[in-house]
Amino acid sequence: MREIEIDFGMITNDNVEQLRIINSTSLPISYPDGFYKDVVIAKDESLNKFAYHNGFVIGAICCRIQKDGDASSKIYIMTLGVLPSYRGRNVGTKLVQSVIDHATSEECQKIGISEIMLHVQISNNDAIKFYERLGFEKGELVENYYKRIDPPHCYILRKKL
Amino acid sequence: MSNANDNPQAGQGRPLPKKDQDLFRTVVRHYETKQYKKGIKVADTILKRFPNHGETLCMKGLILNCTGKRDEAIAMVKTGLMKDMRSHVCWHVYGLIYRSERNYNEAIKAYKQALRIDKENIQILRDLSLLQIQMRDLTGFVKTRHTMLELKSNQKTNWLTFALSKHLIEDVKGAISIIDVYLETLDKDSPDVKKNYESSELALYRNMLIAEIPNNYQDALEDLEKCKHLVLDMHLWLTTKALYQLQLQKYHDAKETFELLLERGSTEDYSVHSGYMCAILQLSPPTCTRALKIKGARTIANTLPLTDDQKDILLKEYQNTLLDKYPKSAAVKRIPLTLFKCNSQEWKTSIESYMEKHLIRGVPSLGKDLASLILVEKEGEYVIATEPCDIVINPVYQNITSLVDGFVDSLETNGSFPNKEGKQPPSTLLWTWYLRSILHELAAHYSDAIKYIDKCLDQTPTAVDMYEVKGRLIKAAGDINSAAECLDKGRELDKQDRYINNQTVKYMLQAGKEDVALERMALFTRHESNPEQNIFDMQCYWYEMELAACHARKKNMGKSLKKYMAIEKHFEDFNDDQFDFHSYCIRKVTLRAYIDVLRWEDNLWGHDVYAQAAEGIIRNYLDLYINPPKDTTEDAEPDYSKMTAIERKKAKAQARKRKKKAEKKAEEEAAEEKDSKKKSNDKSNPPKIKDTDPDGKELLAKDPLEEAKKYVATLVKNAPNRISTWLCQYDVAILRGKYFMALQALKKADKLESCSANHEVFSRLIEFSKLEIKVHKHAAVQKVFESERLALLDSKTLNDFVKDVVDKVK
Repeated sequence: MREIEIDFGMITNDNVEQLRIINSTSLPISYPDGFYKDVVIAKDESLNKFAYHNGFVIGAICCRIQKDGDASSKIYIMTLGVLPSYRGRNVGTKLVQSVIDHATSEECQKIGISEIMLHVQISNNDAIKFYERLGFEKGELVENYYKRIDPPHCYILRKKL
Repeated sequence: MSNANDNPQAGQGRPLPKKDQDLFRTVVRHYETKQYKKGIKVADTILKRFPNHGETLCMKGLILNCTGKRDEAIAMVKTGLMKDMRSHVCWHVYGLIYRSERNYNEAIKAYKQALRIDKENIQILRDLSLLQIQMRDLTGFVKTRHTMLELKSNQKTNWLTFALSKHLIEDVKGAISIIDVYLETLDKDSPDVKKNYESSELALYRNMLIAEIPNNYQDALEDLEKCKHLVLDMHLWLTTKALYQLQLQKYHDAKETFELLLERGSTEDYSVHSGYMCAILQLSPPTCTRALKIKGARTIANTLPLTDDQKDILLKEYQNTLLDKYPKSAAVKRIPLTLFKCNSQEWKTSIESYMEKHLIRGVPSLGKDLASLILVEKEGEYVIATEPCDIVINPVYQNITSLVDGFVDSLETNGSFPNKEGKQPPSTLLWTWYLRSILHELAAHYSDAIKYIDKCLDQTPTAVDMYEVKGRLIKAAGDINSAAECLDKGRELDKQDRYINNQTVKYMLQAGKEDVALERMALFTRHESNPEQNIFDMQCYWYEMELAACHARKKNMGKSLKKYMAIEKHFEDFNDDQFDFHSYCIRKVTLRAYIDVLRWEDNLWGHDVYAQAAEGIIRNYLDLYINPPKDTTEDAEPDYSKMTAIERKKAKAQARKRKKKAEKKAEEEAAEEKDSKKKSNDKSNPPKIKDTDPDGKELLAKDPLEEAKKYVATLVKNAPNRISTWLCQYDVAILRGKYFMALQALKKADKLESCSANHEVFSRLIEFSKLEIKVHKHAAVQKVFESERLALLDSKTLNDFVKDVVDKVK
């Protein structure tokens, strides 16, 4: 694999437009302004970051911490995207791995993060294989999760820590 | 009070009783430390008992002037002066008031008057000398400084300023001798004979004077060696030494000096390289002088015509000696590109690896860098080609382009360079496409250029640099609106990037969207004040220039003139700002820099930026002259007689509404002012002068042709090397009916740029030749005129002349 070197960087109000571009070239649905606002307000580079290559933003991952009813917390991956021309070079892997590393770090263990999870459209086999390679497991099917795309169903993928 | 009248001070300003004398001194102190409110208070205390004390009145007036109450201040100072005409203090303050209003001539008169009363007052002499140098009254300046030196010969600054004054009236030898006399007055332990910044600067200044004497380089060189032990600025010392050695044709020595400079780390200084080349090739002194003036990243190799043999000699020197000594120097690696024979294999290999390195690194300026290798001959020298027709046929360009095409193919197919091992990351391809796009841009192949830049944007849509180029291409292809939008999209991606913000503003202004432009500009201005005011305070002329042009295109002539005038005001400020440096530079002994500033200020009104603004003003006024504005202002009463009853009612109702709105606005503004006045009452800054004429109505009311004439006169005097000066002169002269002036203008224009090169000159020439002009009642004069006119056409008929020009252009 022709791996490329990347650096991580924070998502701020001044560069959040670039996140929009990453998402629009990678994901089938568009996210509302509120989504981007929240990412900027969170100011948390460990959960929301850009991947830079030679000075340009080429990928991004956005997560948030979700508390469940049973007093444990999860990290939820909201979006992951890499520009089409830069795919297949380990960028996405590095982005997800950095979140996994953060989740298994001391501070997250203190809060009690038990797993990382995300939703994947059932037709997106590439994505499912990608996450399985990183140690995620395919969980239950959620029907009609998506409103405007076809198929509207998705799987939940989980990685227990 | 009988006391006041009996007291001799009541009008003569003779010494006050001790307590009030002290109070007066406090007033002066408060003025000097800018504690204006306190100063006025104390002044009032004195005035309570001695209401006719002229000097206190003057001081109070002076302080009032600093707090912005100009009219009150002037009146008070005048009163004070009336009450005590024999007080030099009063005259001095009078002069200061005029100086603060920049009425320097009146101020000089006031100081001279003060000096008549007190011939040896150092303070007044000093103020007078400052004004004299400011106004360039050089003979007066010399006299005053001479007097000052005689009065206080123990002050170093008096010696230095006197020497400088001699220098300015071009008595260089006189200046040198004064410095020498000063140096003799110093004893062994004085700090000025030891090595420090001030003595270093003085020595270098003195040496500069010696070199200004014609053909005196030998003396200058010897003197330079003598003062080496004092000099701190070794780089300058070595550069000057090398310059002298070249002028004296001591080429071997010069080469050594340049080598020393390179060793000290000046490997990226292209003028050092130029000098080095001159020494190796042993070029004539005038050529050397020309060589050391070459600007930027160019040397004699790509400016002056060198023979192939000369280039070979230099090439060997660079490749064999310099490259080994300085393997990391960018300049040393780049200069050989200008020395190889153009289509040789060596050149191709060299430039290929040069480009590969920069493309891997991702250097955005590579395109511009390579463009500087594409040269065109002009008047015996080489200049960088700018016309697409010149570039396309140039063999250097063609070779570079085919190499880059090879890169693109190879990188697209298998991800590596044709002659280089190893796979390249995607960014290399990105920059290669970028380079190819820029190369297309140089040749004006805009659709091809856009094709490549679109490839870049497809691959990496987060790259801000690409949007800038795309915008530029779209603008060049003719669509300024889309170009502005494209740039704005790029700007959104990185809101911290001030450069892209400025570019967006520029394009918005060119697209006629001045409101959007101001919004964008305001993202980076300071938040307390109105952004337009901040732009003015920062003297941000590019914005004002573009905005003025934008208004002119929309025929808002008043607003446009206001902006051009703002630029003129900046230049007036540049002129005024030099005032403080007259004393500061002498004190700090930065004499050479000071002389440079004075010389720069002397040419201020010929500066390109000012000339551009002046031309804008002239064009606006000419437009106003030819198309006077119709009086369709909103405030004008509509013509009621021509309307029906219903229309009349409607029009009257609308007029009433407008009036009410205007009144309300005026009320709001008055209330705002009251508020802001309360806030700013404590500050001792003068209140901001409110702009009472934002639409420039006053400027519109002036006589357009008169104003145009004034500005053209300034341009003709100060910027005679600009062709647009003469084009303006022609246009104004024709409208004024001054045909000889028009003829002169055309002749000068033609000399600068012949009509086969410049269509503006050409069209005016043709128009002028076709005019039936009765220029003078004397037949002899008319004849001269006609013959000169014919000479402009090279004595051909109009048709033949036009045909010839067309052929030349082909």
